[in-house]
Amino acid sequence: MNHYFNIHRFLKLLKLELFRSFRGIFIAFEITFGMLFFVGLLMSVIVEDSLVFFEHTGGYAFTLIIGGFVLSSLAFNDLSNSLKSSNYLTLPASTFEKFLSMWLLTSVGWIVFFSFTYYLYTVFVANPIGSMIDANMRFEDFDPWSDFAISVMKYYFVLQGVFLVGAAHFKGYVFPKTLFTVILVAIVAGTLFYFIMGDLMQEDNECFSQMNPLIGKPAYKIWLLAQWAFWWLLAPFCWVVTYLGLKDREV
Amino acid sequence: MVQIENVSFGYPSKPQLFEDLSVSLPMGNIYGLLGKNGAGKSSLLKLIAGLLFPKTGSLHVSGFSPRERRPEFLSEIYLVTEEFEVSAMGMKRFVELYSPFYPRFNHELLQEYLNEFSLPTDEKLTSLSYGQKKKFLLSFGLATDCQLLILDEPTNGLDIPSKSQFRKVVASAIHEERSFIVSTHQARDMENLIDPIIILDEGQIVFFEDYEQISQRLIISKVKELPTHDGVVYTESTFSGHTIVEENTSGAESNMNLETLFNAVVNNKEKVQEIFKNQTITR
Repeated sequence: MNHYFNIHRFLKLLKLELFRSFRGIFIAFEITFGMLFFVGLLMSVIVEDSLVFFEHTGGYAFTLIIGGFVLSSLAFNDLSNSLKSSNYLTLPASTFEKFLSMWLLTSVGWIVFFSFTYYLYTVFVANPIGSMIDANMRFEDFDPWSDFAISVMKYYFVLQGVFLVGAAHFKGYVFPKTLFTVILVAIVAGTLFYFIMGDLMQEDNECFSQMNPLIGKPAYKIWLLAQWAFWWLLAPFCWVVTYLGLKDREV
Repeated sequence: MVQIENVSFGYPSKPQLFEDLSVSLPMGNIYGLLGKNGAGKSSLLKLIAGLLFPKTGSLHVSGFSPRERRPEFLSEIYLVTEEFEVSAMGMKRFVELYSPFYPRFNHELLQEYLNEFSLPTDEKLTSLSYGQKKKFLLSFGLATDCQLLILDEPTNGLDIPSKSQFRKVVASAIHEERSFIVSTHQARDMENLIDPIIILDEGQIVFFEDYEQISQRLIISKVKELPTHDGVVYTESTFSGHTIVEENTSGAESNMNLETLFNAVVNNKEKVQEIFKNQTITR
């Protein structure tokens, strides 16, 4: 077991990765919150006259997911640089520890740190300043425990694995390459899906409600299986592929 | 101990670089790895460090298979590559973050090496010159006390005083429990440091001898007129005459000239191998 995981070694690695990532995380935060402040909040206040209630959830979802995907794409940044990859691969830690440290930082670490910072941002920055600019606007503090926020976190938790796979396998331009691949796969999957359930898709139905038109039809099982695979298989599959990519990586 | 047995390796869509390569490198030596451009020196070092994987054959370093990249193995090797990029952090921070991964890291020795190279102790790594960065990484690698230190072109970018400091520092750091493999084109920089000499040519180790054996079997001398006897292995024209490499039949001691030796081996390997035929070329 010591070959694969040693808590003391792992903590040393985590400390190293945190220090190395600190500047990147700081810049990502500066950009994210700067954009939120100037583009998100102020533009909403100025442009949308009819908006009298602001509750931050849209901004939270967008920035958590996009910021997290960008961060995950940078997870194994050293591997994209042939001069840095030798150092990274010969660093005395196991492949599992290297994977786990980056997974923790970009998945759970990002969710917790970003949500907490976002909460502080809404309470101490966005809402007081927003209220001063427009007295008619009402602001609600961001609630990281709301159903919506938890749901966004769950989606991010599952989907960020895809960008970890990209980070471990692509060399350079990881984020656009991963996006391109995801879109390509989505087009192929969507086309197949259309051929299988095209008729149903032509009908005027809402597929995500309790009135799911598939209920009672044979395709419903496929739909349930797809949902199950999304929530329970996609992330672990991506983590395993990421680990194997790191393990088999050569310079 | 590095044990390479029947290793084959090649890059995708290129001719095979190594075919059935076998060599054994016991501990306690500073191996000098020489070879022409593209001979596969850096690839061999990367195979040993677990950064490339052999297609066939087996490769073990201190009982570990490098391709598994186990932490216990990685803490016993340190690789200083020819080209590198350092992290944007101070020297002290680098030592604080990286040294705990090496169980026998010696901070006092590191300080000694830094002093020997006249390096500052807490500059930002990115603000150092290329040569200073290289000397820092070399000092760090030596201070890890790892079993196998791999140096790829270590004197490239070093100024003249630093080259002799390099030889002094490296020679002082070797002991019976560790080995250094030094790959270089700068043969003159390595004279009196590397022993044995390994010459790689066309994917094979064509020469693997220590200084004692070389001086017993070959003699390198300068002459005005070229000799005509069969024992001549290699000749080179110089300003004042010729440098010749010939079989040492007289038992006289010869001054070693690594560049000339290398040229002799690469240009007439059959003859050299015949002279050393009682030695184990592929040990």
